[in-house]
Amino acid sequence: MNLDNRKYLLYALVFITGVLLLVRLFYMQVIDDSWTRRATEIAEKRREIIPPRGVLVDRKNRKIVINKISYNLMMIEERIKNLDTFAFAKLIGWDVKKVKARFREIVKNEGIYKNPSTGKTQSNYRKDRPYPFVKDLSLEEITLIASRLTDFPGFYEEPTGTRYYPYPNGANILGYMNEVGRKEIESDPFYRPGMNIGRSGLERSYEEILRGKKGVRYIVTSATNNEIEPYADKKYDTVAIPSPKIKLGIDIKLQQYGEELMKNKKGCIVAIEPKTGEILTMVSAPCYDPNLLSGRKSIRKNYPSLITDENLPLFARPLQAEYPPGSIFKLLQALICLQEKEITPNTGFPCNKSVVGCHDHPYPSSVAKAVQFSCNPYFYAAVRRVIQPNKNKNVFADAEIGLNNWHKYMMGFGLGNKLGVDIDTLAQRDGLIPNAAYYDRYLGHHQWAFSTIRSISIGQGEIKLTPIQMANIAVIMANRGWYYTPHFVKSIGKKGKLKKYRTKHVTPIERRHFDAVVEGMRRVVYEAGGTGKEAKIENFTVCGKTGTVQNGKNKKNHSVFIAFAPIDNPKIALAVFVENAGAGGAWAAPIAGLMMDKFLNKKVTNKEKENSIKNANLMSSY
Amino acid sequence: MRETKGVISRVDLPLLVGILLLMLFGIMTVYSVAFNPEHPSLFDTSQKYGKQILWIGVSLFLGFLILLIEADVYRKFAEYIYIVTLLLLVVVLFMPPVHGARAWLGIGGLGIQPAEFAKISTALMLAKWVDETNIKLQNTRSIIETLGIILLPCILVALQPDAGTLLVFTSFFFVLYREGISFDPLVLSLLRYFPRLKFKTTWLGTHFVPFFFFLIMLAFLSLFLSGSIFNPFGIQLSGPLFLIFIITFIALVFLGFILFFGYPRNKTKNLIVLLSSYLFSLFLVSSITFIFNNLAAPHQKSRIELVLGLKEDPNGADYNRNRAMAAVGSGKFLGKGYRKASVSSMRTNHVPESETDFIFCPFAEEWGFLGIVVLISLYLFILFRIFFIAERQRSVFFRVYAYCVGMVIFYHFAINIGMNIGLAPVIGIPLPFMSYGGSSMMAFTIMVFILLKLDSQRRDVLR
Repeated sequence: MNLDNRKYLLYALVFITGVLLLVRLFYMQVIDDSWTRRATEIAEKRREIIPPRGVLVDRKNRKIVINKISYNLMMIEERIKNLDTFAFAKLIGWDVKKVKARFREIVKNEGIYKNPSTGKTQSNYRKDRPYPFVKDLSLEEITLIASRLTDFPGFYEEPTGTRYYPYPNGANILGYMNEVGRKEIESDPFYRPGMNIGRSGLERSYEEILRGKKGVRYIVTSATNNEIEPYADKKYDTVAIPSPKIKLGIDIKLQQYGEELMKNKKGCIVAIEPKTGEILTMVSAPCYDPNLLSGRKSIRKNYPSLITDENLPLFARPLQAEYPPGSIFKLLQALICLQEKEITPNTGFPCNKSVVGCHDHPYPSSVAKAVQFSCNPYFYAAVRRVIQPNKNKNVFADAEIGLNNWHKYMMGFGLGNKLGVDIDTLAQRDGLIPNAAYYDRYLGHHQWAFSTIRSISIGQGEIKLTPIQMANIAVIMANRGWYYTPHFVKSIGKKGKLKKYRTKHVTPIERRHFDAVVEGMRRVVYEAGGTGKEAKIENFTVCGKTGTVQNGKNKKNHSVFIAFAPIDNPKIALAVFVENAGAGGAWAAPIAGLMMDKFLNKKVTNKEKENSIKNANLMSSY
Repeated sequence: MRETKGVISRVDLPLLVGILLLMLFGIMTVYSVAFNPEHPSLFDTSQKYGKQILWIGVSLFLGFLILLIEADVYRKFAEYIYIVTLLLLVVVLFMPPVHGARAWLGIGGLGIQPAEFAKISTALMLAKWVDETNIKLQNTRSIIETLGIILLPCILVALQPDAGTLLVFTSFFFVLYREGISFDPLVLSLLRYFPRLKFKTTWLGTHFVPFFFFLIMLAFLSLFLSGSIFNPFGIQLSGPLFLIFIITFIALVFLGFILFFGYPRNKTKNLIVLLSSYLFSLFLVSSITFIFNNLAAPHQKSRIELVLGLKEDPNGADYNRNRAMAAVGSGKFLGKGYRKASVSSMRTNHVPESETDFIFCPFAEEWGFLGIVVLISLYLFILFRIFFIAERQRSVFFRVYAYCVGMVIFYHFAINIGMNIGLAPVIGIPLPFMSYGGSSMMAFTIMVFILLKLDSQRRDVLR
């Protein structure tokens, strides 16, 4: 028997084994990526660094929204080991039942979904994901808990920012934040459970800027999930970039003053800087302290009462409420009639009370006087010429041509559509400027003429404007024919404002036609028979127009006033709207006057007027 | 003194250098894995790297002493050495268990594992026994005695329990095969119960070891494939069926060889061997599949599935292997760089025992496939060098011992790396010359240095 050949069997065994190992290793290390991914999963963790949320300052650099640090006690179920529920409950100051209920609640809140591949219903809850177990703990509370968390693996603390508002004003502008929902987490990789997102106001519309850019740190972790060292010498790490400082056009002191004036009333004040379109103040009354909705504990406590409050404090009236404008609309009617050459500045119409009601006043012998007296028959007659231009023998067809022409002008004033303020568009309304198609829909084609729709000539009837649009009319008057879309954000870091708000909108009215109307507005405040004398202030010439909006049979009229000052080179244009208060001159005009006084003269001298407005309580009339 | 110089000049340098290189790789990897920033010195004996260097120093010193001792000692005292280690293996069973096994013979803080040294003494004993056996005059008794030399320490190791070392002892069977120790007498005595069959020799008895190895591999494969489905030629085949398909194919290839290229003289015999092997393989595959799928208890089944990697349980029973494979796989082609292991470093501790049984992991993670090629080539070089040394011995005793050393190292190498990459079950056996630990380092070093000593004196042997 030749035994010598048998050594080759051993050689072959060793050689084949070696080759087998190498082939397997080549596959594992070079071809198959899954082990690398698994290693990353095991040892290399991606830690996200979330920068502090952006700070908002007002036009004078006063901080109006800042961050207050609070803490969440986070939980990852997978890492929880031998939880002593009793000791844990004692640590966080809950009872055992509540702790157990909280676990169930977290799972329940995540909801369920139907797995498309298996058809089974599964929970969205994942044991390997972090969830906030206790939210919004103060520094004092968390320091007591954190020191003992080593006894409870699976729980850890995480700082989160809560918003803090040094001035308790402007809640409807600033908006509020709340915890992100599951859908937001799924659709945007920025969000993780427990994070906050802007829910309304500027917090919502500037969310993507305010949240900043996340940084990422790659670290090597141990089997017990401790951080060992940076991964690959920080080669792949990125730095978190906090939001640039956002500067608003708001003057928070003026805002504060406006809110004080509007206390115990319903309505709005919107003040805009005419030459820039920056909103100086936007009061929505009644309002609330934004701190009431800062942090989840506060939201849980205060939101239900705010949302059920019958006076709708969460409703941003300046953007969302639509009112008939009343007599302030006459300013635009006058401009359109002048532009259409249907009247001249010196055209007069008799105050014929048989067609439309009016109050007693001298003969409106010019446009300026008609504005001063707010003469209804005058505008009825003038607007009639625009809407029935005699271009067609058929009176209905003629009205159709005239109304559409008129409608085009009105659209040019930024009416009938959202202005596009930089608060999310869902929170803004269009208002309503009817055109021929609108009346055709309700009355039928060629079933209407000017006489049918005459109340639009004095800003009643179907016409609806939002208060911000009313304020924008004041801006147009102040600028004599142009405006920037009103907006809150003056600059984002060093980048200035958005391009949209740097585009000038020019109205289709020639500059020269404004003089007569503006003169009328001056007369409203200063001349005998003017309706807005209460808006007078020292040192500056105020131009204004009152409106008294009829509002159903048994309700008091809405009081409206728009104004700008000073007459040359205006610094402020505003609209004041007080619901069910009475005549425009009685309530809205003095409030507008006080606002302008505060803004232009820096202090209010007429304390008597100020106090009587501040102390007035109209809430009983609603 | 003259003689010492002579011994050292006659020592097989390639093998010695290979071993020293492995030791160096070992120190390097232990330093990387167990690095403690507070004790950065490589020679700090409070740290594992310092201790490893100490162990290597002690081992090499013992090796040097061995070179000075007369080679004849091992042959003369093989029985005594064997009996002493057997006694130690008995004594160790009465020691307090460490990690669930009574493997350590502790003296103060230091301990040794007699099982490591039992490999040497068994190899020596076996070498002497085979040397004194006349291969042409084997009988049942001589076979049982030979088996007894291997099985006695096996039983004692199994009692510890230490499955890894037990497995390593089976490597000696390959040496027996190489030396022509036949299991024929056993097979023939069994065949005596079938009076009609009369054989002088059987193929099965003669080639029992490789045949048995083949069967184990086949069993392993059929378990491995039991759950899977293949789709080779558009026909759906279950794993075992696919295996049978392949076996049939191989059998047909052999059939072709026998019919066209074989000696006509041996044709009938070869055909019988082929047919019986083929039928036996079929029987084995189908019965194992049947038992596994129908008769095995669920917990046994899941255990087997885990070992075979058929079931994933990355954080439970399969923890070690899953982490180890992730570490190895993440090394990629070039590795993460020295001291950059993020999964298998002891600091992160994802791979337990990454300085001892799983030391291959950090090496693979840091040096990548390129480093692995170097390491495996080095092991293969050492193994072939040992086989080469074995073949150049004039003495049977020397040759058997050399083969024993080669096979023990081969088993450690194959199983250890295999368990790091999911090809072998996780059995705690060290990687020779690299794993941290005194006993294995000393045992392997002594084992190889005895070989070097015997080799250096091969010309002195007259036979």
